[in-house]
Amino acid sequence: MRSKTRQFTQAASAELQNERSRRFLSNFPHLFLVRREAALATFSDPQEAQDYAASIRREAVARLPLLLEEFERNASARGARVLWARDAEEACNLVVKMARERGIVYTAKGKSMLTEEIGLNEALEEEGVEVFETDLGEFIAQQLKRPPFHIVGPAINVPLEEIRDIFLAKAGLLEPTLDPVKLGYAARLFLRDKFHHLRLGITGVNMAIAETGGIVNVENEGNIRLAKGVAPTQISLMSIDKVVPTFSDALFLLRMLCRNCTGQKISSYVTFDHGPRRPGDVDGPDELIIIIVDNGRSDFYPDAKLRDALRCIRCGACLNICPIYGKIGGYPYGFAYSGPIGQILNPLLLGFEQTRDLYHACTLCGACRSVCPAGIDHPGLLVYYRCLEVERKNTGTMKVSGRGLLFALLAFGLSKRGRLDLGVKLLRSWVGDKIRDGKPGGLGRFLGGWLRKRDLPPLARKTFAERWKDISNR
Amino acid sequence: MNRVSLFIPCTVDLLLPEVGVASYQILKGLGLAVDYHREQTCCGQIFFNAGYWGRAARLAKHFLKVFGEDEFIVSPSGSCVSMVRHHYPRLLEGEAAWLRLAQEVSLRIFELSQFLVDVLKITDLGASYAGKVAYHESCHILRALAVSEQPKRLIRSTAGAELVPLAGATDCCGFGGEFALDFPDISEAMIQTKADKFIASQADLLVLSEPGCLLNIGGYLKRNHPGRKAIHLACLLARPGEG
Repeated sequence: MRSKTRQFTQAASAELQNERSRRFLSNFPHLFLVRREAALATFSDPQEAQDYAASIRREAVARLPLLLEEFERNASARGARVLWARDAEEACNLVVKMARERGIVYTAKGKSMLTEEIGLNEALEEEGVEVFETDLGEFIAQQLKRPPFHIVGPAINVPLEEIRDIFLAKAGLLEPTLDPVKLGYAARLFLRDKFHHLRLGITGVNMAIAETGGIVNVENEGNIRLAKGVAPTQISLMSIDKVVPTFSDALFLLRMLCRNCTGQKISSYVTFDHGPRRPGDVDGPDELIIIIVDNGRSDFYPDAKLRDALRCIRCGACLNICPIYGKIGGYPYGFAYSGPIGQILNPLLLGFEQTRDLYHACTLCGACRSVCPAGIDHPGLLVYYRCLEVERKNTGTMKVSGRGLLFALLAFGLSKRGRLDLGVKLLRSWVGDKIRDGKPGGLGRFLGGWLRKRDLPPLARKTFAERWKDISNR
Repeated sequence: MNRVSLFIPCTVDLLLPEVGVASYQILKGLGLAVDYHREQTCCGQIFFNAGYWGRAARLAKHFLKVFGEDEFIVSPSGSCVSMVRHHYPRLLEGEAAWLRLAQEVSLRIFELSQFLVDVLKITDLGASYAGKVAYHESCHILRALAVSEQPKRLIRSTAGAELVPLAGATDCCGFGGEFALDFPDISEAMIQTKADKFIASQADLLVLSEPGCLLNIGGYLKRNHPGRKAIHLACLLARPGEG
């Protein structure tokens, strides 16, 4: 997927002007959270459940290399073909090659963030393989050629009118309607047809179980089940972080994933696949190919702090609670992952240089961390990224910034009380009454963003330190 | 206990000294001996958040030198307390002696409302305010320090004050330090929502316990809703003339 992370600020400002987005965002994330809370309340101790899930993810990430090997062994023993892809290109090439070898002209896909990340659809289409996204939301986003708005609900913000128009044009809708059920039915008829003669189904993976070699998919529409069940060839792509140690770990995470994601106790369909169709099975593919994709993850794995990013189970709870996502929606993040998890993952996958806005556009409010079932400390990681950025600048690989000088000056002024007092005196004579009436004056360069819609109290006529003598002698 | 040491964050020292004075008056009014170390400057939070961890660590050491001996350190800022309590030990983890001191101090530093309610077990300070009050749950106070009931109890105990519900009380106000300067469009949208919900709450006063939020919310109200006011909890509770 081509990243547009550099346009974050611009795209965010555009979304802030978008009345529809704002109206939608003022309701929907909140509804998700209410449902989530109700679903979690079915645990006798929701916090304990969250901590337990986090400990499973911590262990899985800590033992990642071993677990992946164990998974490969067990999946292979069940008859799956396990392939490894170093990066996006390698992963796409593998799929394209297998499609070509099998004479595939079209494929039906289940929703998969990883395939967004590696740009699989584009790669297949370049080779002349038509790709049908079969998740309703993903299908709509694909038809509209729009990136996912939300990692769970990719087209959740698209108005019915737009869906009607695109379905009339491209998805066999016969009569205009705004009835969501009729629209859904039209998409169903259109997509069902693709499954009839399907020869290659492509899916993502929610969890890969090291202990059994099985893969788990979680969905509400049944389309992934079809993509996995009817075609002779099934390719399932997973990033290296999808592995969990045991079957019972997978079952517990499943309970947390559904509750945190859609507020369901369990989704409508959960499928466990262990190898291809065996003699006597009613369905299943003749060949099951599992592609394990690294795409930069093992580069940052050695850093024990950064590694925590791999704990994510993609439930989307952090998006729903993030006050910034709640203002700008998913588009500005410019890559497959949006919201807090996008701010964590996109910089690691794309590099810090083109994603600077992502790890700075956070007030560190900690709401995401408070709901994360994987125990990710998002604000802690973002601050760590900023630290790594500063360190890289210090070693001269990036040029020294005005920001660096400003902070150096500030640190000098705050290092000793005498210097602070002197700084206050200098500032007083320089600032004077400049911002007394809320106008930026000469400080506009530093405070312009603040003073546009906010006043700033004037520098105290007498600081607390200066008042102390009067106060304490009273 | 009869001594507390006041930690006045740089934002309070330079821009909101009345918050510091009110904090002093409250503690003094309770009969405590209040120390103020003149050498104190800044907890280093702005540097830590901006990624300047080396500079933050130097300020952490300065802080620990100044406050290292105190039995109780009290501050009218939750984020600064969280900085000392949670981040100093991480910043100094490579230096055993400093780390030990940071860990000790982390147990002895308290946000003002937490200190009053949890340590001193006091909720009624004899303050009064005639009107409806809404409380904004600042992010660091609520989530980093898990302090939420304490300030609300203090407000409820204020004679004449009626604590009214505030929709979205736990939503961030959009301050975030450098964030507000770097992403003004997003920050303004967030503070606008906060202000709108405060106005919709019908409260006469918005009370909060975090200087950063006060600069943001107070500054926004002053510019856009001049009749509406946000104040620090300390200023609600202090009874001028005492202490």
